[in-house]
Amino acid sequence: MMNTAVTAPPRAVLSTPSDREIRMERIFNAKRERVWQALTEPELIAQWWGRGNRLVIERYEFERGGHWRYVEHSDHGAHGFEGRYREIVPFERIVTSFEWDGMPAHVAIQTMTLEQLADGRTKLVSISIFHTVAERDGMMHSGMEGGANESYQALDRVLAALG
Amino acid sequence: MVQFATQLDGAFAALSDQTRRGILERLGRGEASISDLATKFEMSLTGMKKHVSILEDAGLLTTEKVGRVRSCKLGPRRLEGESAWISAYQQMLTEQLDHLEAFLERTKGSE
Repeated sequence: MMNTAVTAPPRAVLSTPSDREIRMERIFNAKRERVWQALTEPELIAQWWGRGNRLVIERYEFERGGHWRYVEHSDHGAHGFEGRYREIVPFERIVTSFEWDGMPAHVAIQTMTLEQLADGRTKLVSISIFHTVAERDGMMHSGMEGGANESYQALDRVLAALG
Repeated sequence: MVQFATQLDGAFAALSDQTRRGILERLGRGEASISDLATKFEMSLTGMKKHVSILEDAGLLTTEKVGRVRSCKLGPRRLEGESAWISAYQQMLTEQLDHLEAFLERTKGSE
């Protein structure tokens, strides 16, 4: 695993275990409850998620399977981002899919974990995993193709039986 | 920071177009002239020049005039469409966490 400190530790650590996984670690000078609030209350999300750009929260269903959609407005236009929650553990973990309108169906799975530190600060770990084309191409050569062919053959048999 | 954010927004704008992602993917396999690209993407020279200049502004592509031909290759970031998106995502997340940190500092004691 390659670790690159982007600022002086322990504030932020960025590492790239593989070209399809992005891991970031931050320590915030705030209690876990406050960090959780900032991550989960729409009126608070709107104050930082857009990175200084205006953020419109079009949809926010904070529950397992719930759908979120944010649109960031800047001088360069509007960019929509959305996903669905896979898992929510209050004050501990949020797992969601993440998609940008500009790269439809290039889905990342983002896991954010919060840990209360003894000194009152909070450690946030964010891990995002992308399903890349390279990975898809890899699968094509390792049996997926065979699997798909078998499925088509099975479909052919069903269709033949239907006459 | 502001300039960084602007560059990132430029990268999003550049990558939001399917043709421009296609151009990056094509250049990932080697250099091409603007007219080659216009032919490949069935587009006017003027239309292609516009796409190329958006990609160039975002640092995803560079051009060089060789004789009468303007040749394009991947820019300093040397990123194709998908890896450019992953890289932009990484930058975006970093900026979001910066802003989250600033927000937490700003609202300290107000809860």
